[in-house]
Amino acid sequence: MIDRLFIALALALAFFIQNVGAAESSEIRVAAPWEISGPDPSTDGFVFLRMGVLETLVSTSESGNLQPGLAENWSTTSDGLTWRFTLREATFHDGTPLTSDAAVTALQRAVSNPGPLGKVAIDSIEADGRDVLIKLTSPFLPLPAVLSHSSTVIPAPSSFDPNGKVLSAIGTGAFRVNELKPPQSLTTARFDGYWGEKAEMASASYLAVKRAETRALMAESGDADIVFTLDPAGFKNLKSVDSLKAVSVAIPRVMLIKVNAGHSMLGDETVREALSLAVDREGIAAGITRYPEAAATQTFPPGLGDWHNAELPALAYDPQRAKSLLAKAGWSAGEDGILVRDGKRFSLTMRTFPDRPELPLVAAAIQDQWREIGIELNVSVANYSEIPKGHQDGSLEVALFARNYGSIPDPYGSVLSDFGAGGGDWGSMNWDNPEVVAALGKIANTDDESVRTSLIKEIGKAIHTDLPMIPVVWYQHTVAYKKGLEDIVIDPLERSYGLNLVNWAQ
Amino acid sequence: MIQRFGPLVAGRLVQAILVALVVAIVSFAMMQALPGDAAYRIAAGRYGYDVMDAAAAELVRTELGLDRPLTLQLLDWVVALSTFDLGNSLVSGNSVWSEVADQLGASLLLAICAIVLSVLIAAPIGVVAGLNAGGWVDRLSLVVSVATRTVPAFALGIILMLWLAVEAKLFPVAGYGNGRHLVLPSLTLALGLAAVSNRVIRDAVYDATRSPWYAFARNKGLSNSAVFRRHVARNVAVPAVAYVGVQLAYLIEGVVIIESVFAWPGIGHALVHAIFERDVPMVQGTALTLGLIFVALNLLVDLLCRWLDPRGAGSLR
Amino acid sequence: MIILPSPARIVGYSLLVILAVLALAGPEAFNLDPVRQSLRNTLLPPSATHVLGTDHLGRDMAARLLSGAQLSLSLALLAVVSASVFGTTMGIISAWRGGWIDRAINTLSDSILALPGLLLVLMMAAISPGSWWVLYVGISLTLWVEYFRFTRQRTRILLDHPSVQASRLLGFGYPHILKRHIFPELMPGLFTLAAFGAATSVTAMAALGFVSVGLRPPTAEWGVMMTQLLPYWREAPWLILQPIACLVVTVLALHLSVGSLTKPNI
Repeated sequence: MIDRLFIALALALAFFIQNVGAAESSEIRVAAPWEISGPDPSTDGFVFLRMGVLETLVSTSESGNLQPGLAENWSTTSDGLTWRFTLREATFHDGTPLTSDAAVTALQRAVSNPGPLGKVAIDSIEADGRDVLIKLTSPFLPLPAVLSHSSTVIPAPSSFDPNGKVLSAIGTGAFRVNELKPPQSLTTARFDGYWGEKAEMASASYLAVKRAETRALMAESGDADIVFTLDPAGFKNLKSVDSLKAVSVAIPRVMLIKVNAGHSMLGDETVREALSLAVDREGIAAGITRYPEAAATQTFPPGLGDWHNAELPALAYDPQRAKSLLAKAGWSAGEDGILVRDGKRFSLTMRTFPDRPELPLVAAAIQDQWREIGIELNVSVANYSEIPKGHQDGSLEVALFARNYGSIPDPYGSVLSDFGAGGGDWGSMNWDNPEVVAALGKIANTDDESVRTSLIKEIGKAIHTDLPMIPVVWYQHTVAYKKGLEDIVIDPLERSYGLNLVNWAQ
Repeated sequence: MIQRFGPLVAGRLVQAILVALVVAIVSFAMMQALPGDAAYRIAAGRYGYDVMDAAAAELVRTELGLDRPLTLQLLDWVVALSTFDLGNSLVSGNSVWSEVADQLGASLLLAICAIVLSVLIAAPIGVVAGLNAGGWVDRLSLVVSVATRTVPAFALGIILMLWLAVEAKLFPVAGYGNGRHLVLPSLTLALGLAAVSNRVIRDAVYDATRSPWYAFARNKGLSNSAVFRRHVARNVAVPAVAYVGVQLAYLIEGVVIIESVFAWPGIGHALVHAIFERDVPMVQGTALTLGLIFVALNLLVDLLCRWLDPRGAGSLR
Repeated sequence: MIILPSPARIVGYSLLVILAVLALAGPEAFNLDPVRQSLRNTLLPPSATHVLGTDHLGRDMAARLLSGAQLSLSLALLAVVSASVFGTTMGIISAWRGGWIDRAINTLSDSILALPGLLLVLMMAAISPGSWWVLYVGISLTLWVEYFRFTRQRTRILLDHPSVQASRLLGFGYPHILKRHIFPELMPGLFTLAAFGAATSVTAMAALGFVSVGLRPPTAEWGVMMTQLLPYWREAPWLILQPIACLVVTVLALHLSVGSLTKPNI
């Protein structure tokens, strides 16, 4: 009896340990933090775009420049009001050809859903033979850049049910969906009818793994071939693993402190400067995000073209100067060391959210650093919707978050909504600078590069001195992959994983 | 048949209704307590922080009818709930039941593997320890049991993950897909369960070997293994199965936490996720399902005990 | 019940006393600050200045563990005290009065028992995430049922006992009967339940913190610390082991002090 039990135990263990699904060499397994909620492009287009399932009219190169996607070429009329995108010959995964009607349906959907296309002043979108005609009510030069955003991908008509609900992600990309299991996994197979360079791999799979350390461990144990977005500690570990390559590229994402300039304590420009001077950016970059070179010297990181201005003086760390600035503004230390003015304590609440794990850590660091100059900071870690909400109802004091200025290849749209008139949910608050508003207005209409450059510099300077948002650190896009993999593309815009080009070294 | 099992079923049925009631009450409190604006939170869950803004929230508000009066929404909710329609997840927009149905399989697989594995671990150790009470197996198993049981399930999970997956690289750290992914989460749960059940089995075996009928069976010349098969096994099975009933709470709680630790896509993981996102319909659906599974498993244990020992003193709860 | 040999209880009591003293003293007694950061001195190994090293923000680990002990033990103590007082009172009322009061309280307790305890605490945590008070209420709400069922069952038996009947006939009032006959009988059982309740609440708090639905960073809670230190396992393995050890020692001490691995059957 006992012998038999032991045999059963041994057999069971043998069954468990047996490697059931060893990786095939023609398969590539991706692990990334973003969960998939379904096939809808407005919420999950980014996953299908990155995995090469769905595609946009306009694509981007490795260096971030626009290049033809599903549209072979595009042009605009001299008044800048009518845009014409000519589609290429392509086939959807269900065998039907790509038509301008399909593209129009998809784009109209993108307009009515949240995303950058809905913010463009669009009059109409129509099909005209193989062309898609987009008519605007006012000129908008960065339109092609907007059409590279993941919310504007073009699914096949058969992806929708009669009510317009998205049932599946049928696209034109190098891979077609095999199985979609929200929220965790997506498996795809090579699409042999792809118009571009056909995939080397027979299949590709995507696994959403929220915990950064788990992803790092998956890379190390070989459970994933490519792992995206690593935590600083995991990245450091993986760099020393022989079988892996860990690389990072600077991306146009920046961590910022949003400041309510209409707040009684924060309206003063010198107070904002003091807050900025008290932030130890190098300490945060070295100790928390662990990329010392990425301490922000200004709002826009290098790689954003003219928007990054090397001539601007770097933001400094000088708590002594911060203290004297605050003293000048009428604040003096109270009994517990916290500053007081007219009987009011200098106490602020910072809103941040846990979805990006580094944010609460940096918030805790800033809490400590601001206490140094006599400011009491309460950190409220909650749902990130509390930030736009607080912007709208005016209750927000300061907030800490990461802003992506590269969600479309031209940061103009993001800058316009963040620093334009009235500020933005993820931008300035109660800070109105007429010169910046005027300059932003002019940029949309000019195609003269030198005028554009000087306008951009003007805007950058105003933001740098006024500090409606206080930059903290810039971000890195981190990737770890198996050494045997070749031709990996690391896209700083995080639009594509370039999986169709990837192959195993012979 | 009905006489024998009827009262058991009826009692558990009442419990099932109580589960639904408690879940509904707490979910209602959650709805009431949600700070801020539901439209904002739903938009946040859907679109991610790079896209979500006030405009997205307003689109969600019109789409879901969140701009209607609160009393009207509340009425809808109560009506829907009474027909067991839990509505759609606020985050993914899919129906709660379809999501729960997807996750249920993964959770049951994990729970069953954990139970089977725990029996495979506990039974041999318990029997050997019981037959040789006071011997080294007995004493060692006591120490190991105490040590294992006092490590909370999730901490045990971390330790196993660091040791067997990261250092020894025997198993994948997390995920779902093939049999190897199942090993660490089910082993974590199984060890916690076996830590106590091996001692229960040991005590039962020990008691059995000291009983008069055991001595009688041995005296009439039956071999060791024959006595064990015919007499001891059945007498040990009753307390062992009954103890599984007591451990069900540990199992369900363990599933919830362990799934999150190992990113196992089951109901527990979904529940924790929904709580994090404050997705009330999903919290309701997953908590309700887990509660009902708890009741159903309890009933199963009751029935099994009654069947093993028709005298009817089997159930512990 | 799986009974442990008696030396175990002595070890358990000693550990509990040490833990209680350390928690009462807190980081202040050692002149340590659990929030003071030093971003240029992160992940330091144990040394003379930082006895247990520093964490990923350069905060003193010893200070944070002590502060975590205060959080965990105070939650356990408060939850157990309120649950036992409430549960015992309800149990005695139920046993003494019987009738519809008994049935009402019983139904209430059944409805709480219908869900696994942690599930209720999790759902409560969703009402107001990151709040210590919600954890406290949730855990107390789960724990009182055990005291209630135990007290009710024992009190019913005790009330039928001839000595109690005699006291009643002699005209002694409720206070006397409770003090002389009921409480002395209940106490040992209540203490066992208290130890298990304390272990449950310490574990629940850490588990919720670990899966990010309990207390939130930068709170120095053991479960939160485990989540935060897990990524640094390779660089500083001693760090994550510290909060795990604290949690395990606390639970072990509680189990050893009552000399049992499992709760008494109620």
